[in-house]
Amino acid sequence: MSARDDILAAIRAGLTHGRDGALPRQTPAQIAAEAAALLADPDEIRPVPAGPDPVASFIAKCANPALGVTLDRVPGWAALPQAVMAYLASHDLAPRIAVSADARLDALAGAGLETHRDIAPLEPAAISVAQWGIAETGSVVIHSAPDQPILNAMLPRHWLVAVEEDRILPFLDDYAALAAPAPRNAVMITGSSGTTDIEGYFVRGAHGPGFVHVLLISR
Amino acid sequence: MADAAFKTRAHDALADANLKTAIDRTTGTAETKRAAAVDAFPEFQAARARAAAIKDHVIANLDHYLIAFEQNATAAGAQVHWARDAAEAAAIVSRICSDAGAKIVTRAKSMLGEEIGLPHALDDAGIERVETDLAEHIIQLAHERPSHIIWPAMHRTREDVAALFFKDHHPPPDADDAASMVASARRVLREKFLAADVGISGANFLVADTGATCTVTNEGNAELSTTPPRVHIVTAGIEKIVPSTDHAMALLRVLVRSATGGEVTQYTTFHCGPRRAGDADGPEEMHIVLVDNGRARMVGDEFRQMLRCIRCGACMNHCVVYRQIGGHAYGGTYPGPMGAVLTPVLDGLAQSRDLPHACTMNGRCEEVCPVRIPLKTLLKAWRLRTWDEGLVEKPVRYGLGLWGFAACRPRLYRMGTRMALPVLRLFGRGWIRKLPLAGGWTATRDLPAPAARSFMDQYERQQKEARK
Ligand code: SF4
Repeated sequence: MSARDDILAAIRAGLTHGRDGALPRQTPAQIAAEAAALLADPDEIRPVPAGPDPVASFIAKCANPALGVTLDRVPGWAALPQAVMAYLASHDLAPRIAVSADARLDALAGAGLETHRDIAPLEPAAISVAQWGIAETGSVVIHSAPDQPILNAMLPRHWLVAVEEDRILPFLDDYAALAAPAPRNAVMITGSSGTTDIEGYFVRGAHGPGFVHVLLISR
Repeated sequence: MADAAFKTRAHDALADANLKTAIDRTTGTAETKRAAAVDAFPEFQAARARAAAIKDHVIANLDHYLIAFEQNATAAGAQVHWARDAAEAAAIVSRICSDAGAKIVTRAKSMLGEEIGLPHALDDAGIERVETDLAEHIIQLAHERPSHIIWPAMHRTREDVAALFFKDHHPPPDADDAASMVASARRVLREKFLAADVGISGANFLVADTGATCTVTNEGNAELSTTPPRVHIVTAGIEKIVPSTDHAMALLRVLVRSATGGEVTQYTTFHCGPRRAGDADGPEEMHIVLVDNGRARMVGDEFRQMLRCIRCGACMNHCVVYRQIGGHAYGGTYPGPMGAVLTPVLDGLAQSRDLPHACTMNGRCEEVCPVRIPLKTLLKAWRLRTWDEGLVEKPVRYGLGLWGFAACRPRLYRMGTRMALPVLRLFGRGWIRKLPLAGGWTATRDLPAPAARSFMDQYERQQKEARK
């Protein structure tokens, strides 16, 4: 027998001839119904929102100093270049930034900013557009795609991420409901990279970005 | 591996003041942060009960979900492998690496990888293994094994880490504070991430209905280990299955709060198959190795509830024994209360029979476990088996036999305690620090001196008083 057959046979033996005697097995429909029932009454098992609406909650969560995130509200995509310039200047960074192929970032080039698509191993700053934001935790989610290189979110020292206000979902479950069909890689990012591996002290910027700046775009 | 030398290791650990400092610093912080996170989440108890129910549901239908996961992962383009035991799993990973012509392999921390002996297998295959989690990097430089499942280098103080980095990092760190050392590791490891041929990660969840694997990290090393290399290998225990992403989120809420006191990890990443047409980056091959290694058998025995474990580490952070002796003394891959239950499964009871006995039964582990595993009951089940299988040492057997004989004869028992109490009180008032024939016990502990009269004596006296 293959390893697969052996393992499945051992599991079935354990489930049907357990120490509690022979157990009836459920049909796939019964299993699905039970799985769904385990998600009933979601409010009982999740935190109450931090604000009156998802956008307010998201902003409140991002303000948690433990996350190491800064947030800027940007009045529409047209105002993005200015917001990016201001951020780079406030950190004494040159007006250069790595961008993904997302067309909404095209306007950055020319507005006094120099942009490039090939990210360097020690890139100072890069910008991505997130697919979703999650109010419950202050997270943003990126999905791998031709115009979404995952490494752009991981390599830079400063990671800027634009997300539209109407893409802010209330809870983790709301994002989960949208997860099928699954992208190749979905990364839910909550704050800057960090580690507590040396004596439990939090140090920012372990392998990923030490600075995460959310640009919340209103319509 | 666990062996009969547990007592020696525990003894050495107790004598190591540096170790005690290191453990106290991290477990203390972890305990405080967890308590704060739980206080800020009034739904925690309900979420815990639900998390336990989700895991029970999965285990009761494990064959069904494994097949669904395999189907969906395969449909997404991943290759699914099955391994009966540690050796088979390590061999599968080594073969994939050699087929890929791998010279450099990056690893994102996975306790399952430790369990199946992956570090050794890769070293034996002559592959350069780069541990990318900061703590794993530290213990790789120190040639050690993890001493905690969340903080593998918990036993190392900042001073220890500085000494290692100054010796091995070129150029050396700028200073010896934690931030400079993290920066130095970032610099050293960054080149390796981009040069690796294969990236190996574990999985916190295997999502049955999408075929995705889910990994959580705070450092971002998992994404950097799994994105640039041509091949991504996931090794995961078969119990990591969840029905859907939604169920994974429900577990994530209790996992992170229990582990680090955060609401969610900085990086929660779902991998579903290899790079798709036009993708900007990502591996060309994705392999998933599903590892049994004793788990399928647990489905049918008294340790089934242990399969709920989501490896948060809270039980060890809150364990008085772990906090005294640290993780290495346990001798297995997994330390603390959960390790004391799992190690006999993985390494055999004869090898690790002391572990279920190294417990005060104070129940703190059960109180904090986010999936409500009855750890005390499971430890007692191992104690019973140790007895049944004749693995208890002769003096203990003899002593307990004598006690059993007396306990069945109340008069004799009471006479015995009445005689023993004044004798014990000769050795100290308040606390007994030394006791003839019990030097092993009192060398590192004090025994409260007993009351002048036994409980039964006092009880009888009170009853008589009351009747007057
Ligand atoms: S036994 Fe419970 S507390 Fe311990 S690691 Fe597993 S889930 Fe966490």
